[in-house]
Amino acid sequence: MKATNSVFLLLFPAGKIEMADREHLNPQSKIQNSDDFFELTTSSLDVGAIARRVVLPECGATVSLDGYVRQWTKGRETLYLVYEAYEPMALREMEKLVEQAHAQFEIASVGIVHRLGKLEIGETSVVISVAAAHRRAAFEACEWLIKELKRTVPIWKKEVYVGGELWVEGEKL
Amino acid sequence: MKVQVLFFGATADAVGEKEIKIDLESKTKVTDAFEQIVSAYPNLQKHTLLFALNQEYAHGNETLNEGDELGIFTAVSGG
Repeated sequence: MKATNSVFLLLFPAGKIEMADREHLNPQSKIQNSDDFFELTTSSLDVGAIARRVVLPECGATVSLDGYVRQWTKGRETLYLVYEAYEPMALREMEKLVEQAHAQFEIASVGIVHRLGKLEIGETSVVISVAAAHRRAAFEACEWLIKELKRTVPIWKKEVYVGGELWVEGEKL
Repeated sequence: MKVQVLFFGATADAVGEKEIKIDLESKTKVTDAFEQIVSAYPNLQKHTLLFALNQEYAHGNETLNEGDELGIFTAVSGG
């Protein structure tokens, strides 16, 4: 796939090819955008497998975040979490974040997979894998992406703890 | 004009539905639609709410059209 792109790069400005691809996206589907991907799933997440999917020949480092369910938060014991998403909008917001990340950081590809439904303590809820030619950009982009995901992507967690449950409300935009 | 309204997490619990259809005057603004929804479901007042119009964040002064999708939800908490 990369080899084909390189041939096109000799003939057309790269930016124009990107724009044309994006206009044909179907926002309702699971999004696979050139080498980037965005997914929501109720199945358990395999961090290593997701991390390998972003690797490209020009890359030398992948940084992955493995976010998982914490048992203790400020002295309160969580029993399990339930995640819910506004699915088509969540995929679109993830895609927008990755477009912004490409503009800000020297990275090659990004995969974001968020799990939905009931998750037990220690289970992975989100994986963000960023591949780059050099590690620094991948670290910076991964940190920026999780911070923005928690702020803008319409996904919510219900925390079921010892003695009650609540939908966690984040910071207002 | 009919508009589909979607609720998630805390707002779905407050309303008791994940999805409703409402009938509005044509050219109703998002904030005016929201006031009508809150008067029908006063439990929503307990929350700080965000809107999305057709799956994009909205500020409230947008005009609704037939068949639009309005999402009403609390500040997000994924990750």
